[in-house]
Amino acid sequence: MRNILTIAGRELRSYFTSPTAFVVMVFFLFFSGLIFTFSILQPQARAEMGGLLGSMVFLTLMVSPFITMSLLAQERASGTLELLLTKPVKDYEVALGKYLGALGLYAAMLVLTLVYPILYAKWGDFDWGPAWVGYLGLLLVAMSFLAIGIFASGLTRSQMASAGICLAAFLFVWLIGWVSYLVGGEDSWLKQVAKNISVFEMFGDFEKGILDLKNVIYFLSMVVFFLFMTVRVLELRRQV
Amino acid sequence: MIEVEGLTKYYGPVPAIMDVSFSVKEGEIVAFLGPNGAGKTTTMRVLTGFMPATYGTCRIGGLDVYEQSIAARRRIGYMPETTSLYPEMRVYQYLQYCGKLHGMKRGELGERLDEVTEVCGLQDRRESIIGTLSLGYRQRVGLAQALIHSPDVLILDEPTVGLDPNQIIEVRKVIRGLAGKHTVMLSTHILPEAQMTCERVIIINQGRVVAEDTPENLTAQIQEVETILVKVRDTDPSVAKLLGEMPQVTSVRSHGDAGPGTYLVDTEIGSDIRSEVAQYVVGKGWGLLELRPVEMTLEEVFRQLTTEERGVA
Repeated sequence: MRNILTIAGRELRSYFTSPTAFVVMVFFLFFSGLIFTFSILQPQARAEMGGLLGSMVFLTLMVSPFITMSLLAQERASGTLELLLTKPVKDYEVALGKYLGALGLYAAMLVLTLVYPILYAKWGDFDWGPAWVGYLGLLLVAMSFLAIGIFASGLTRSQMASAGICLAAFLFVWLIGWVSYLVGGEDSWLKQVAKNISVFEMFGDFEKGILDLKNVIYFLSMVVFFLFMTVRVLELRRQV
Repeated sequence: MIEVEGLTKYYGPVPAIMDVSFSVKEGEIVAFLGPNGAGKTTTMRVLTGFMPATYGTCRIGGLDVYEQSIAARRRIGYMPETTSLYPEMRVYQYLQYCGKLHGMKRGELGERLDEVTEVCGLQDRRESIIGTLSLGYRQRVGLAQALIHSPDVLILDEPTVGLDPNQIIEVRKVIRGLAGKHTVMLSTHILPEAQMTCERVIIINQGRVVAEDTPENLTAQIQEVETILVKVRDTDPSVAKLLGEMPQVTSVRSHGDAGPGTYLVDTEIGSDIRSEVAQYVVGKGWGLLELRPVEMTLEEVFRQLTTEERGVA
């Protein structure tokens, strides 16, 4: 556990000593702030997080590859991975430590966005319950995106390639949701499959403030699967 | 302390090392010598648990580096060939990070940090950002991180590569200072380095160990002739011919590098005819300027071993 925290701490500090953290945060906060501003300027503005959280899922999709692309790819390219993997540290500790570092950056960013519900609550009739459920959903989405991201980063030495793999994977889980609308027939198997692997479909319930255990398990199993795959990739890469 | 048995590693169908076996005793400093691509780095990567061997076993202090990997890695300090460090970190931060990963407590880490930075000559660079350091200093940080947890075994892959002559002398001094306290294995393709810093040399070529002994024994074993250097004022070509006709002399070569009139006289082993040669040269009136025995350098031994592929029993 100590090793995991040591690695996570180094990773987090390294984000803030490089431009990554700032670029990512500015991007995320600027656009979410912009959307928030537009939403309250509407004549019939309502103190609800729903739409804003939905757009933050999209922003998360955009920034996640930039958070995770360096995690393993850069260490492999620069050779620092060799030193890390010859320390008395288990492969899963390396993967988890780095993952937690990335998640830490995202969580810090998410905390800053709490300013939106706080403003809603101050000037509107705001219900915190659904907002918390929405935030939980957003965090779960980010957790699964970051898990896919660290896996992609382990696959290659090139940060660009790892970001590319990430984006492709995210767009896939996003676009697959459209299939569920395009395909007709409620009992069509394609529609059912598409509906059940689309991140946005799964996030829909959280957005409405509905906490469904099935959806939580969906995201968590994605996290576990991709972290497991990351550890396997690390082990495999030792062979070569 | 280090026991390697029948180590073989394939990269795809290509063997990088074949059946490499050797052992290093506690407190010894051993050089792993070989030309580029001989398999030095591969052997060290297996030894440090970075990658598994295809066949064979490695033990560090009795611990199998594959089966008991974490325990074995605790006892190793490793400095890879390219000292890659995190450029954005400060020197002391990085060393603390490495110490923590080795399970060191905060208190002992602080003390050890002082010791290590002193040994590696980094006292005035502790606050520096690694990315701004010169290669020489980065190399020292690489050495410091290998030493931070006072490991029993130090594995250094080409520790002086890329340094300027002064830095090389410094680093060698540091390594020699580690003798006794640590078991050190360093790889190098520079022969004088092996001769100067190490008690024993393991020569590897094309993935196989071709020789293993002290530098002195290695030269003695492979030497087939004794050589005397003779320098005379007379540059007449007949000198070489006449010298070659002396008893027990096997051949005479002119030693081009040292100017005209300098000859290398090979004689039969154990003959020592220096005084006879001196008398002869003086008798002929060639004007004797210099006469001394020439010892075969490890360099020549190495060249013979690695180019002619002959093994030393």
